[in-house]
Amino acid sequence: MTQIIIQGLLLSGLYALIAMGFMLIFSIGRVLNLAYGAYLMVGGYVYFWVSQQLGLPQIIGIAAATMMGVIMGLLKHRLIVKPLKGDHVAVEISTLILAVVMQAGVVLVFGDASKILLPIVPGVTQIEGAAVTYNILVAAIISWIIIIGLYVFVRNTYTGRAMQAVSMDEKGAAISGIDPDRVNLITWGISGGLGAVGGVFFASYTQLSPTMWVGPLIISVAIVIVGGIGSIMGTLIVAHIIGFLEVIVVAKLAPELRGVFTMLLIIFVLVLRPQGLFGREEAH
Amino acid sequence: MTAALEVRHLVKKFGGLTATDNLSFSVSTGESLGLIGPNGAGKTTVFSLIMGELIQNAGTIHLDGVEISKLSTAQRIKKGVSRTYQVPRPFAELTVRENIRVGLMPNSVRQMVFGNSDKARETELALSVGLSEADIERNVGELSMGDLRKLEFARTLATGAKIMLLDEVFAGLTSGEISMIAELIQDLRDQGFTFVMVSHDLPAMEPLVDRTIAIERGALIAQGSFASVLADETVRAAYLGT
Amino acid sequence: MNLRWYHFLLWAAFAATLMLMPELVSKGTLRTMIFACYLAIFAVSWDLLSGRTGYISFGHPFLIGIGAYTTAILSKRFDVPLELSIPIAVVVTMIGGLIVLLPALRIKGSYFALVTLAYMELIYQLTQVVRPDLTGGTRGISGIETLTRGAVNGYYLAATLLIILTIFSWALMRTRIGTALWAIGMNEESVRGSGLSTTKLKCFAFLASAFVAGLGGAFYVHYLGSIAPRALFDINFLFTILVAVLIGGAGTIIGPVMGAFFLVFLLEWLRPWLPGAERYFIYGLIALVIYMYEPKGIIRIFSNLLGKLRGANK
Repeated sequence: MTQIIIQGLLLSGLYALIAMGFMLIFSIGRVLNLAYGAYLMVGGYVYFWVSQQLGLPQIIGIAAATMMGVIMGLLKHRLIVKPLKGDHVAVEISTLILAVVMQAGVVLVFGDASKILLPIVPGVTQIEGAAVTYNILVAAIISWIIIIGLYVFVRNTYTGRAMQAVSMDEKGAAISGIDPDRVNLITWGISGGLGAVGGVFFASYTQLSPTMWVGPLIISVAIVIVGGIGSIMGTLIVAHIIGFLEVIVVAKLAPELRGVFTMLLIIFVLVLRPQGLFGREEAH
Repeated sequence: MTAALEVRHLVKKFGGLTATDNLSFSVSTGESLGLIGPNGAGKTTVFSLIMGELIQNAGTIHLDGVEISKLSTAQRIKKGVSRTYQVPRPFAELTVRENIRVGLMPNSVRQMVFGNSDKARETELALSVGLSEADIERNVGELSMGDLRKLEFARTLATGAKIMLLDEVFAGLTSGEISMIAELIQDLRDQGFTFVMVSHDLPAMEPLVDRTIAIERGALIAQGSFASVLADETVRAAYLGT
Repeated sequence: MNLRWYHFLLWAAFAATLMLMPELVSKGTLRTMIFACYLAIFAVSWDLLSGRTGYISFGHPFLIGIGAYTTAILSKRFDVPLELSIPIAVVVTMIGGLIVLLPALRIKGSYFALVTLAYMELIYQLTQVVRPDLTGGTRGISGIETLTRGAVNGYYLAATLLIILTIFSWALMRTRIGTALWAIGMNEESVRGSGLSTTKLKCFAFLASAFVAGLGGAFYVHYLGSIAPRALFDINFLFTILVAVLIGGAGTIIGPVMGAFFLVFLLEWLRPWLPGAERYFIYGLIALVIYMYEPKGIIRIFSNLLGKLRGANK
């Protein structure tokens, strides 16, 4: 029982971090960035390359991964999202194609086989009789720090509030002197960075492989869809629902079924309540 | 005599807001009814309720004495009532002919697949609303606002409508286009079509209606001749704002 | 339906080219051609549902998978003859898919795409766990009875199926229902406002699509002789179908067929330089560039060129 609670909390923290970047894009531009999972993958691989193949300090690896994520986010906004001018379906299709291209790119550079990432912080500790690796503990703590940081940023800075404004009403924000294009660009950059950092931790929790982007993408989709548009709290809550569901299913039913309930949750929520459990209703 | 369209005690609520408040009115066959009211009075909501695009909380809608409140939008249209929208909604990448064709289609997959389209009728409808021969094969993306309105009429007529609900048909038109559309409506009135009309352009609307009702906050506040409704104290107060 | 003499001519040329192919190319290339034919069938199936209506399906492998698994399980585990198991598979795909996806047809745009994607992942995970004695679990089923022997016969079968299904779908889309489906993609409310039940139309498009997907999936599995969940219910497989349609030109039926052949030949052509999965890198990039440049696909690029040539001749 303790095991489940601890595992659930740690996994949920990680999922919340992963979903944040995806949620930002969805709430600002109303587009589903299906290449989001690929940020995680590339982040993981960049970290692997810098810290394990080049042997540089881990912190540089994480910084490099984040930088790479930010650059990818910015490029994607400039080269794909902006030229398609808000055609959501086109953005989704092209980001899905892009994700597969990035997957193939990773195969090209690193090969097909999956790679094991050394723990970022080695060691195991006991909490209430449950074995917890320092690695996932640190991942969860850093996730929380980043999430709280993001929350403060969105609430208290000018850019953050501009992001909120654009997410609620792009035209209204533009009239109030906010440049939605710039806000979008910044958001894509932040989202890329968050994804890449999340990817480093996610990879150290599972493993690095060219197809690793699908799982976190679907989890992010589920969390954001179920949590509702533009709700950091909703994202957090649903990240915990999904995280705990997975841990419980793995512990009590069968490991292969870990994703089944996530999928069912997506389907039921979308069909019955498309605005999500905690989202605001959208006027058209 | 049964009315062509009769609305009885219609109520529609959006959360706490009452958009249609116990509204009753009727239109007899061949009559043209003006529906006026200030912005946000709930005029468009009434149309959406009649068409079944929104479902009322209470009340009934009858067409030629037959209740249609439980029917789907498609079924209501086949019973002879159809509407236009404030902003025309054509199929942007289809030609004028194909747009009209969609209106003429029977609501049956079998007939859609095996039946043939009636080209002569398509052309006839396009010409009858004042579109030119050259317009027919044109993509609707190339049409002017006035021509888009005409196309809406053609598609509405194609559905076999006898009662037309016109929502702001003069919006966005040049004065030349307004008189063309007005002429078209007069023409259709002479042919015996029934109209319910919403417009902010009261001078353009006046000659086109037999009778007028005014609503505010979804409730009926006045009815009678166009002039008498406009002269009504409550209506004036509603327009001026309270 | 408005058929012209040159339609017959072009279709005859299309069929003849496909049928003559075994005389022209090597056995190895023929195997690639077989894959191209099945990919084209799947692309046509996708196009029937999504190409015109704009209801993007990310779950087509799910439909193809139902057809393939149904006939594979029936023939392998219950010794049902193929003449029976294939039609059953098609019916199961149509009915099963409809029951599952019907609620999803209410929701629009991105959300429809996501629900279909979720279905694909769901069935991927379920086939591995639920009744592995039937589905073969993660490893799938092998030693499934095949319909033909050898590349040449396999090719004739695939090509015939492709020709029939393409002409069927093309003809269907030239009727009024094709126009109505385009109209849904442009403005669904107005279609409803024209007195048509869009639910009925979408169901029809879905059933037509599921019919082609189920048939294609069933024949494909009886060509391959084996089936595994990861080969079918996979984003890469979805990607290949999607890219074939988009490169070719969505909504046109012929475009997706062209796109499928274009893709397969691109892969084949890249093989000497990039023998591994890296080919997908180039292939995806080309797809992305074409899609960004002309979302209506190569068929539109061709017709624009043709239009310019005609314009120049005048």
